[in-house]
Amino acid sequence: MPTIEIKNLSKTYRVYQKQEGLIASIHGLFHREYREVHAVKDINLTVEEGEFVAFLGPNGAGKTTTLKLLSGVINPDQGSARVLGHVPWERENEYRRKFALVMGQKNQLWWDLPAMESFRLNQHIYCVPKDEFERTRDELCEMLNVTNLLGRPVRELSLGERMKMELIAALIHKPDVLLLDEPTIGLDVVAQHKIQEFLKSYQQEQNNTILLTSHYMKDIEALCKRVVIIANGSIYHDGSLEDIVDQFSGDKIVTLQMHDDRSLEAISKIPNLIEIDAPKIKFRVNRDGVGRVLSQILAEHAVDDIVVEDPPLEEVISNVFSQAEEKSRREATHSNSQ
Amino acid sequence: MAWAGMNWGLFKIIYQHTGEIGLDSGWHEHEFFLFLGTIWIINSLIQTLFMANAAEFSELIRTGNLDFALLKPIDTQFLISFPRINWSQLPNGILGVMLIAHSLRELMQEREIYFSVFSIPAFLFFIGCGAVVMYSVMICLASTSIWFGRNQNLYNFWFYITNFYRYPMEIYQRSGVGMALWGTFTFVVPILVVSNIPARILAQPLGTPWKSWEWGLAAYAIVGSIWSLMASRWVFKQALKSYRSASS
Repeated sequence: MPTIEIKNLSKTYRVYQKQEGLIASIHGLFHREYREVHAVKDINLTVEEGEFVAFLGPNGAGKTTTLKLLSGVINPDQGSARVLGHVPWERENEYRRKFALVMGQKNQLWWDLPAMESFRLNQHIYCVPKDEFERTRDELCEMLNVTNLLGRPVRELSLGERMKMELIAALIHKPDVLLLDEPTIGLDVVAQHKIQEFLKSYQQEQNNTILLTSHYMKDIEALCKRVVIIANGSIYHDGSLEDIVDQFSGDKIVTLQMHDDRSLEAISKIPNLIEIDAPKIKFRVNRDGVGRVLSQILAEHAVDDIVVEDPPLEEVISNVFSQAEEKSRREATHSNSQ
Repeated sequence: MAWAGMNWGLFKIIYQHTGEIGLDSGWHEHEFFLFLGTIWIINSLIQTLFMANAAEFSELIRTGNLDFALLKPIDTQFLISFPRINWSQLPNGILGVMLIAHSLRELMQEREIYFSVFSIPAFLFFIGCGAVVMYSVMICLASTSIWFGRNQNLYNFWFYITNFYRYPMEIYQRSGVGMALWGTFTFVVPILVVSNIPARILAQPLGTPWKSWEWGLAAYAIVGSIWSLMASRWVFKQALKSYRSASS
């Protein structure tokens, strides 16, 4: 049985459209206009035990709504979902003991008390035996290097330190399923890297199932083999990162280090040029034509070094988002015209 | 405490003009102050234990932080009802106890008051029933925040509703409108019953033994407490189904 199984899940919000100004506000008391926002539209997804899946999508794509549905925070309009065999929005305590949700933009620790107090509260709420609680807490604190911060009020912690404490609070009961909503948002690269390293080793050690949303491609590259792209509430692509690069990027980036200025000058008019930083030149070549273009250059010019790489993941994903949004716009136009 | 003092002073002035509230109701000055002390205790319990939490609940909904309460493997209504205790409201309850003690002493000098070993436990039990009903009303009011997004008027609504339970029920039983209010706050939202019964146990405005309708009312106070708690739980659960969670 899959750990997470989603079938035709949809969630629509009815949002009040308030017009600007006092008269419009008074008018709104008697006649209210609403707009329907399809946050999640008929999505299907299966996640097996031990998978680390990235949920990618532009802002408002439906990533967080999906995580909130899977955690039972909100109820869907239609469709079904089972996580570890439970229907999330039935909010059974047995289910709630088996998963955790961490939201990078929200704080669940007591603001004025040391994080230790929140951990202790979670210990009692999740009925974790004292020995096990202390062992898990010490292990997690050591892995995240925050043992010396346990007694400091949460409000005095840096954002990175606070996020580490949030993760410990969420993991104190060793959840089988971990839902992470932008856990590295706003963190500096060092803190981001530490959390990535932690999540990677923790997941390998515990073999738990993790769904991660993030706008940082470094998180995705470092952690997830499988990527689900969601746009306008629908799943647009589900596959590996390599698949995405192969499928959605037709180009390779070629960087050549030329032997001399004459050679550099000679190929400086090459199409799809990105930049020249003598003696290096960087340009874009269609994936299928890399061999042909390079052999031609090598036959005619002196080249010291060659680097062929995929375009930056951010660029590829940005292309995917644009295509996904274009597709849903077309679908919306098509359904409106019918 | 200032409010309690003003409240006491106001009724002291009123009783300079009349000997009894309601014709043959038995609510003379000392009986009424005993009633007032009972109300102060129930109010103090609610304001100490639940009021700040109910107001906080509205804020949890507005900010979306209710999400975290919904994730915990513990009853959500319990979790949002008891996180904080507002000790500053407790002195009103202590004043209520003092007012009851003083009024009882005065009453016992005036006439015979019947006490049994069950009187104090029964009084405390019905105070508990009162707290349960008022808590239920508060949960229902707070739950509306889920539908409206926020509820800035929780305290106002609380004041409007509790206005009706601060007086002996006999004052409503003279006119059509009064009877409608009496019926509503006795049978639909039984706040009148749960304030009147504990006060009647000690004050015995109609003397002893209790009339049969007083016994019936006491039984109804228990049923009403259970029904209120069940209704508030239903409203809370229904409201949670509409929870949208603020955007993050």
